Amino acid sequence: MPGHILRDFDRALDSLRADALMMASLTDRNLQNSMTCLLDRDAAICAVAISDEAEIDALEKKIDRDGVEILRRFHPVASDLRQVVSTMKIGGNLERIADQAVKIARRARKLPLEPELDEATVLGPMFIEAMALFRDSIRAYADADTDLARTLRRRDREIDRMNHDIADNLTARMAEQPDRIPDYLELLFIARHLERVGDHAKNIGEDAVYTAVAEDIRHPNNLLEVA
Amino acid sequence: MSPPTPSSPRSEITDAPAAPPATPATPTETPAFEVKNLSIWYGQKQAINNISINIPAQTVTAIIGPSGCGKSTFLRCLNRMHELVPKTRIEGQILFQGENLYRPDADPAMARRRIGMVFQKSNPFPTMSIEENVLVGLRLNGVRDRHILNERLEKSLRMAALWDEVKNDLKKPGTSISGGQQQRLCIARAIAVEPEVLLMDEPCSALDPIATARVEELIRELRTRYTIVIVTHNMQQASRVSDKTAFLYVGELIEYGETAQIFSSPRERKTEDYITGRFG
Repeated sequence: MPGHILRDFDRALDSLRADALMMASLTDRNLQNSMTCLLDRDAAICAVAISDEAEIDALEKKIDRDGVEILRRFHPVASDLRQVVSTMKIGGNLERIADQAVKIARRARKLPLEPELDEATVLGPMFIEAMALFRDSIRAYADADTDLARTLRRRDREIDRMNHDIADNLTARMAEQPDRIPDYLELLFIARHLERVGDHAKNIGEDAVYTAVAEDIRHPNNLLEVA
Repeated sequence: MSPPTPSSPRSEITDAPAAPPATPATPTETPAFEVKNLSIWYGQKQAINNISINIPAQTVTAIIGPSGCGKSTFLRCLNRMHELVPKTRIEGQILFQGENLYRPDADPAMARRRIGMVFQKSNPFPTMSIEENVLVGLRLNGVRDRHILNERLEKSLRMAALWDEVKNDLKKPGTSISGGQQQRLCIARAIAVEPEVLLMDEPCSALDPIATARVEELIRELRTRYTIVIVTHNMQQASRVSDKTAFLYVGELIEYGETAQIFSSPRERKTEDYITGRFG
């Protein structure tokens, strides 16, 4: 697509997109650190995951501020308008994913080092799947890959299923080891946080489709149209 | 609107208060205009190239496009105003409410009475008062009844959202009021003869933002009674006031659709590039 006659407009849109991708990169690191925190029991990495939130929050505010400035200054329409609105929404989803990462790190930090829980076996595959879903959502946005974006809903349902299975598994373990119920509850909540990561990644994929082709793929089974 | 010429057939004129235009059951049921394969030439230069479009009644349709794309030419041929330019040639058909606007026995003056026009620059007649400006079309059409004239004067000025501002100054010159008021005076003059359609050629381009907002608000109110076709360079204005938008480029209709669709997800790449400011 050719550039705008008004080159400041191009620069503002490019900058907004760059900030969103930077935020995605920091969120990716945050998720990765929270996984290391949980699975490798590394307290220093837990602290990094928790402290990284501030930078991500600041980027979310910057994206909102710059997005509003673009709306005020350039009155974007069509694909430009979709890009601004979607990028602002993606900023919100990234911030919530980072929130989940921080919550995971905080809970993981509370888990005792000894005796070790079998969390890697229980949560490892779900963590890997949530990370993959998140990364593909960002790839779909960055590359305007609507085919990839459309796969995310199905994969999010798979993460939901993993969450249910883990909940069943952990509930059974709690029955077997009542003295460790608080620890298993932490794991249960961590699984719930990962399930939310999947939801937000799916949302990013939906915004990627809207940005690229102006199609709203949210809530496909809800046929109600509100005027 | 240009005042009807003295050649307008008197037989069409009565002193009875004119009823507002008939309201179709739904606004888009019957097109006000059906334009079929329209081409227009000024001498050797083709200004419009094979445009077909249906303009629904009682909606606001915006015509957008870069300078020289044929917007104003298209607008003017909807009430045969383009015929005032020498060496104009037209092909194709324009049906207005189902009747051929260009049939040999059709009277251009009558077309212009039913299809009024508001121009870019407000043009109240300088030697006439506010009241005379509003009533000039009716008087040219032979209306003499003072009661009817007074009634139509107030009604037109109210519909143009100008009555409260000028009701105590009706005898003052039409040029004595502000630019925005003058443009609304021209709208009042256009609607005084109770047309069915209002064509607007960049009606706000010479107005400040407040006056523009008043005219835009007026356009939204008038659409319940009139079919409005507006040419505008201001895409935010097209987005704000219109229900349908047509994008013209070098005399061709590139895309036509619901305004919300055109400005959120245009189908044609040229439309996208134009409305997002990538060329024009």
